[in-house]
Amino acid sequence: MKLGVFGAAIALCVLSLGSSAINAADYPDRPISVMVSYGAGGATDFQARIVTMMAGGDDFLTQPIVIINKPGAGGRVGWNWFATEAEKDGYTLSAYNIPHFVAQSIEGGVKYSADSFEPIANWGSDPAVVVVGIDSEFNTINELMDFAEGNSGKVTLSGAGLYVGHHIAALQIEKASGAKMAYIPTKGGGAAAMKAVIAGDVVAGINNLSDAFRAREAGNVKILAVADVERNAQFLPDVPTLMEAGYDVDDSSVNFRGLMVPKGTDPAIIDLLAEKVPAMFKSARVKAHMDAGGSPLKVMNRAEVQQMWKDREVYLTELLAGLK
Amino acid sequence: MEFLQYFGGVFEPFSFSLLLFGTIGGLVLGATPGLSPTMAVALLIPFTFQLQPTHGLILLGAAYTATVAGGAVSAILLRIPGAPANIATALDGHEMAKKGEGAKALHASFLASGVGGIIGVLLLIFLTPVLAKWALAFGYSHLFWMAIVGVTIIGSLDSKSFVKGLLSGCLGFWLSLIGYDDIQGAQRFIFHDALTGGVNVITALIGIFAVPQIIDMFAKGRQANNVSAIVVEKQKLGDSLGLLFKQVKALSIGTVVGSVVGLIPGVGGQIAGLVSYDQSKKFSETPELFGTGHPEGVIAAESANNAMVGPSLVPLLTLSIPGSPTAAVLLGGLLIHGIFPGSDLFESHPQVAWTFINSMLIGQVLMVFFGIWIASYAARVAQVPSSIMASSVMVLAIFGAYSVQQSMGDVYIMAALGIGMFCLEKFGFSAAPLVLGLILGPIAENNFITGSLIANAMDGPVPYFLFGPLNILLIALVIASIVYSFLMSRREAANELSAAGTAETDVDQKGGPMNTSRLQHLIPGLSILLLAAAVTYTSYTREPADAFLFPRLVATVMLVLAIWNFIRAASGLSRVGTGFSWHLAQSIAPGLLVLIVYVFFAAKYLGFYAASLATFFVLYSLYDPGTHKEGKVWLKRLVISVSFMLLIYALFTLLLKVQTPRGIFDSWIL
Repeated sequence: MKLGVFGAAIALCVLSLGSSAINAADYPDRPISVMVSYGAGGATDFQARIVTMMAGGDDFLTQPIVIINKPGAGGRVGWNWFATEAEKDGYTLSAYNIPHFVAQSIEGGVKYSADSFEPIANWGSDPAVVVVGIDSEFNTINELMDFAEGNSGKVTLSGAGLYVGHHIAALQIEKASGAKMAYIPTKGGGAAAMKAVIAGDVVAGINNLSDAFRAREAGNVKILAVADVERNAQFLPDVPTLMEAGYDVDDSSVNFRGLMVPKGTDPAIIDLLAEKVPAMFKSARVKAHMDAGGSPLKVMNRAEVQQMWKDREVYLTELLAGLK
Repeated sequence: MEFLQYFGGVFEPFSFSLLLFGTIGGLVLGATPGLSPTMAVALLIPFTFQLQPTHGLILLGAAYTATVAGGAVSAILLRIPGAPANIATALDGHEMAKKGEGAKALHASFLASGVGGIIGVLLLIFLTPVLAKWALAFGYSHLFWMAIVGVTIIGSLDSKSFVKGLLSGCLGFWLSLIGYDDIQGAQRFIFHDALTGGVNVITALIGIFAVPQIIDMFAKGRQANNVSAIVVEKQKLGDSLGLLFKQVKALSIGTVVGSVVGLIPGVGGQIAGLVSYDQSKKFSETPELFGTGHPEGVIAAESANNAMVGPSLVPLLTLSIPGSPTAAVLLGGLLIHGIFPGSDLFESHPQVAWTFINSMLIGQVLMVFFGIWIASYAARVAQVPSSIMASSVMVLAIFGAYSVQQSMGDVYIMAALGIGMFCLEKFGFSAAPLVLGLILGPIAENNFITGSLIANAMDGPVPYFLFGPLNILLIALVIASIVYSFLMSRREAANELSAAGTAETDVDQKGGPMNTSRLQHLIPGLSILLLAAAVTYTSYTREPADAFLFPRLVATVMLVLAIWNFIRAASGLSRVGTGFSWHLAQSIAPGLLVLIVYVFFAAKYLGFYAASLATFFVLYSLYDPGTHKEGKVWLKRLVISVSFMLLIYALFTLLLKVQTPRGIFDSWIL
């Protein structure tokens, strides 16, 4: 009797080992989770929901995608978990934000770096913009910066956290103008940072183009400048770049968003995802929803993203060393 | 009166059926212990992709309203709040149920919810422009003081012992600080990997309310008369209505507090119920009745947490800032459907916006009807034997805790907190102050730090935090609250002295005197003291110092309180709580062992479903008073176990699409 139980246990263990081998031909056979390391309702979250809404279609992944939120510490909590505990079976993906996770890994104290992840595809490119409240005394970026130069340390700038795109833009602006400003990281993502600007809690703010565009449409803010190499023709054709205004700030702070898997995932699965996901991002419904939200869509495939990650890492290492 | 134009739209067949479905579904999901409203709404969002925006929003809005109200059912019958908003409801609601007034409590709860909710939505309809300005007026210093008002409530929430209430609050505060600090990203108190994400409020809620109840059910043992002690009486609706209208004061306080708290972005409607309960107690003519099963408490709490719903949509619809975690999820739903909040929302999408708001209004009315109807079925729930109840709640707790973020760490935290709370409760500590501390911690800290950063850039912290009409008003509230708590504690100390004079020794369940009680009280006293010392040491020695400012504050207060508590325990002054007896330990040991194996080992390695089926069967059999000898009885147990697991499967895997750990066996079964 005991031997029988023992034998059965051994058999079960052996069988389970066998059954755990991933059969790429069956993938995916159940819903796929995408972890978003920010709270529900934020820009990354709702964009992730939009770009993955078509996943269940026969042309794409044939299985729906479920979004799980693991917010905290500007994304560190979610990405730490993803780098160390997520299953590598292709059923757990994550959204990435450049420059956030690269800057955080350069800064240290986290368990991930660009080497911990394999990119699949990019969906969005959201530059940082400088905003002030609709009743603010400043109407151009130069007015704001002149004031900042004359009042060192007094101009408060809200942004969605430390070592996120907004912070990098703020650091670059400080360096380019020589004016010392007070960057105030807010908890609650872009919405909370925007609220601080609208309510007049801070003098100005750095925020996402997408969120700022909608806030401007609603009549709550003025957008003074965009931190990019050229103007955004689609949504903000009348907003000058910082460079045009005379401040040497490039596009290092542009917030790229996309999907990735943990390193060590079966290459066959990575290839499948790399093929289907960009197509899913390019579907008409996704584009319509993204446009309605003022969220710039920029689809890049795996090879392009891998290159972009490498470039950004080099760039950010240099930048952060120079800004300290 | 523009909303009247779109009123008819709510009654279109498809829209109305969605409203019905959302309301009933929300009530049921909210009433299920272990499922939080936030989760329920979040998991409904993918269903709305196929729907038109108007319809999708109707579904989500109905679910939002109903889940909060539904949470009261499990709070009242099981003492397990469905959501943080229902904690205050459990305080008096469950006591009422124990006294045989369960139906009265349920009626009071739903009627109060309806009244509060309708007024809240009406405020939203008529006053949004005004309310939006008020929402903006709350800056970082004001939110900080609001959190401190909440903190002062902690002391008076626990009527048994002022010190222990404050100590529970401190524990909650400390728990909220675990993890990565939100501003700097520094690691704080992460002494185990499971804690990297910090302690999630829902997980803690499930742990500290559900687990002690489960273990208590083990304690009842295999008694022949194993039916739950709660008999739900027949209560006439008319009587309940009469009762409600007598309690105008509680109703008004609840509605006002709920609306104000819901309006403030970021404070979270989670505390609306507790603040209202506390304020209602302070203004009541019979404050000492609160906590013993007083309908006023239930009415205050439930009217507040539904009154919160309407105003919480104000910052959401005008600023994109949710006023509660569930509202945050609702925001995601709005954005996906292309409805972008902003002051122009009503101009650019009037049909969607107004139909949605009208549906919330009608939804409140529907919620009252269906809630009361469901209350009559709730009577059946109370008849379920403890053995089945304990096993079911156990499985629901683990699934619920896992579903929040699909993290096993949350499950471990849930169980650890639960077992800890069970022990603490035996010594007079209570759960409500702890959860309040957990919720308020981040609000107090983040607003303090962000406010300080801004203050440094301006004229300094003193003007920023202390000057200005709103600051002064809130500080006055804080002081009033502290003075009141202090006076209450003096009164309680006087009562304790007179009671100690008349009752020299406590008697345990078997009738013998508890000579060990003083020694027993030393154990938790000492453990907490050691914990406080460890926390204090860590806070003062770790870098970076900036990130440990609040921890140092909390640790210092906790240490002082822990020393005070220990002294009281050592000198025999503190006799609150029943302590442990050998009999108790014996009856809970097998169940506790099964719980520990299940949570910390089986669920992950054997697979959630396999482990849950096995655990349900084992727990049920262990504590079922029926005979173990008849094969028929074993078959019955197996059938019930499998049926329950099928229900869980339908809910969590099919409906909510939660990806549970597969372990060895689940890949076979599923």
